[in-house]
Amino acid sequence: MRCSDVRGFLVAACRCVLVAFGLLACASTASAHKSSDSYLQLDAGDAELAVRWDIALRDLDIAIDLDTDADGKLTWSEVKAAWPRIEAYAMAHIGIDGCQLRSTGRGLERRNDGAYAVLHLSSACTLAAPPHIAYSLFGDVDPTHRGIAKIQRPGAVIELQVLDPSHAVNGARVGMSAANVATSSGDGAAGRATPSKGEFLGEGIRHILGGYDHVLFLLCLLLPAVMQRTAAGWRPVGRLWQAILPVVGIVSAFTVAHSITLGLAALEIVSLPSWFIEPAIAVTIALAAIDNIWPVFPVRRVVVTFFFGLIHGFGFASVLSELNLPASDFAWALLQFNLGLEMGQLLIVAMAVSVLFLLRSWPSYRPIVVRGGSLCALAIAAVWFTERAANVSILPF
Amino acid sequence: MRTIRALTRALAFGLSLWSLTHLGHAEPITPARDDEVIETLPAASAGRDEERRLRKRLNERPDDVALAVRVASHDLERAREAGDPRFAGLALAALRHWPDAPAAPAEVLLLRATLQQYLHEFDSSVTSLHVLLARPGGERMAQAWLTLATVLRVQGRYAASDVACRRVETAGARVHSTACLAENNALRGNVDDARRSFAALLADPRMPAATRGWLMTSLAELEQRDGRASPADAAFRSVLRLGPDGYASIAYADFLIQQRRPVEALKLLRDEPRTDAVLLRLAIAGAQAASAGAIRDAAEMRERIALANERPEAQKFHGREQAMFALFVEHAPGRALELARGDVAQQREPLDLLVLAEAARASGDAAAIEEARRLRQSLGLHDRRIDALL
Repeated sequence: MRCSDVRGFLVAACRCVLVAFGLLACASTASAHKSSDSYLQLDAGDAELAVRWDIALRDLDIAIDLDTDADGKLTWSEVKAAWPRIEAYAMAHIGIDGCQLRSTGRGLERRNDGAYAVLHLSSACTLAAPPHIAYSLFGDVDPTHRGIAKIQRPGAVIELQVLDPSHAVNGARVGMSAANVATSSGDGAAGRATPSKGEFLGEGIRHILGGYDHVLFLLCLLLPAVMQRTAAGWRPVGRLWQAILPVVGIVSAFTVAHSITLGLAALEIVSLPSWFIEPAIAVTIALAAIDNIWPVFPVRRVVVTFFFGLIHGFGFASVLSELNLPASDFAWALLQFNLGLEMGQLLIVAMAVSVLFLLRSWPSYRPIVVRGGSLCALAIAAVWFTERAANVSILPF
Repeated sequence: MRTIRALTRALAFGLSLWSLTHLGHAEPITPARDDEVIETLPAASAGRDEERRLRKRLNERPDDVALAVRVASHDLERAREAGDPRFAGLALAALRHWPDAPAAPAEVLLLRATLQQYLHEFDSSVTSLHVLLARPGGERMAQAWLTLATVLRVQGRYAASDVACRRVETAGARVHSTACLAENNALRGNVDDARRSFAALLADPRMPAATRGWLMTSLAELEQRDGRASPADAAFRSVLRLGPDGYASIAYADFLIQQRRPVEALKLLRDEPRTDAVLLRLAIAGAQAASAGAIRDAAEMRERIALANERPEAQKFHGREQAMFALFVEHAPGRALELARGDVAQQREPLDLLVLAEAARASGDAAAIEEARRLRQSLGLHDRRIDALL
């Protein structure tokens, strides 16, 4: 490897790391695009009431100057020192009929639009039905502010109240449909449903099993795996492990490579247009098929597989945009998708290698299976290339 | 070497994945050190101390008209720049000393009407402006007439908007009055007259760049509605050559998306502040281009919508964006149609009708198509993009 390559690579690696840290930095700045809301969760028991109240630090700073050194950053020590003022301010702006609230705990939470103070309050009281909540938080700071209250009573559907600080007492109820309640009763204070566990795993498996181009590429690579070159020409391998070892190498190279580009593309670190990637995938199949007939690769297959795998990774990434991976569980969803791909891939490899291993001693294995199969793959790849490069449809798949 | 490369890449990848899990997630913060930064407050353009000092002074003297207007205008400016409606709330609070329109000073009332327009409370905005303009001397406020003309146009009340446009001239702002009328003419399909008016105004070399940009944008939109892609494209480009213009960038991005040139739209918006409007276009163009970044933009937009919708009335402010997202990103025409119907009850700019028509067409709902057709008819809107759908 030339020096300039090493440098180029280091620069690229540094950029990746910088991007990663950039994302971190983004996560901690308040970039709100919604109006100011506080979130109240009222859990009403028979003779007790627990309230969890989330208030944005950014809004509190306007009302009671949390940022004492005025540097635009709220540090933990500033927030800690201001906590009694936060509680006093908040408690002075809420009143629930018949309930004397007292503070039982505190916390901090990060939401999509910034950091929130979390106040835990409770009272030994029975919440009236409907509850009358006197809410005046930020009434003098931001008249568009609202409190979003979710009220949970044992065995009852969640009630939603929108509290307007310019109305002294809020008793208006907003009905929630059964469907809404079904999703919101499951979520905690985080207020967000997580995607079902296996969803993206399944998508990954489906994508590789239904992605004929990736399957064909893998098959092309596997066709000669049950043969080995000897002094006397190609001979079938004697034992299964002799076939499995090169397969493991090739499949690992492909996996590592496509995981890298899938990740880079999903994170927007690298992006290649699909008009380039799709025909390029067809070219990788054609080249792999040609190499089975007339060896053309200047380096070992495993190296070529790695580079081709990089291209296929971009192909996998293009489907991600249709899957709507959730932003909140992005990494988990992406990992699931990739694991799904690998599981599907292993399934294909296991089946293909078993069949090929059984066929290996057939005298016509090389002319028919390897050459014939590769020629078929070459023909399909050529048609795909034409279809994708010219954007026309010839094959039904 | 290859192994090291793979390892380092894997490390960078893992790190970015880890950081991503910290995006958009409601999760507890457990600070480790006293100097750990919990929250970075939005940048204060005038200096944080200065802003605080002004706010404090206003708290002591809430009836200081000049001070209240200064604070509120500054906050409105920030709301527009950052696409952050919280600042509009702060601006309204600065004007709280005058809750009743009849008793409010003229500047306060005009600013409140503008804030109401920003917050999509169009009826309240019109009411505030009517109170203001009915006062003795109020009729000489050109800006008030112009804002009224704009709000009425957004509501699709072109004839009433014309009346207000003419009063802009009586109040002494001839250029703005001509442009105001030309805009309404163009919407109604008198495109040749409108084109001539804009051309005559733009021929004046002394025209300030901001006014020139506004006129060119109107011209670009006229050409776009009239189905003339290359003059529209040229006009948008010349607006953006004048300098950064958030409104024009979004309008041009919509044009590029409609022309199926998503890659250019993505490039155009890449460095804009990620307001809801910008992020929405990034998600739509990304979906159209099948770009890898589309997933994240769409996911972020989806999350913002979900968050905003915790307020039942959120769709008043976000109806158009939510309908567009449902239609062009989620491919859910039924939901898009429902949202677009809610949206046109509020605002009736060409884009709102276009989204309604597209949602109606995509859902194959004959009644909805008829409804969109009737609405277009009742407004008298000329827009070849909509004609092609209905």
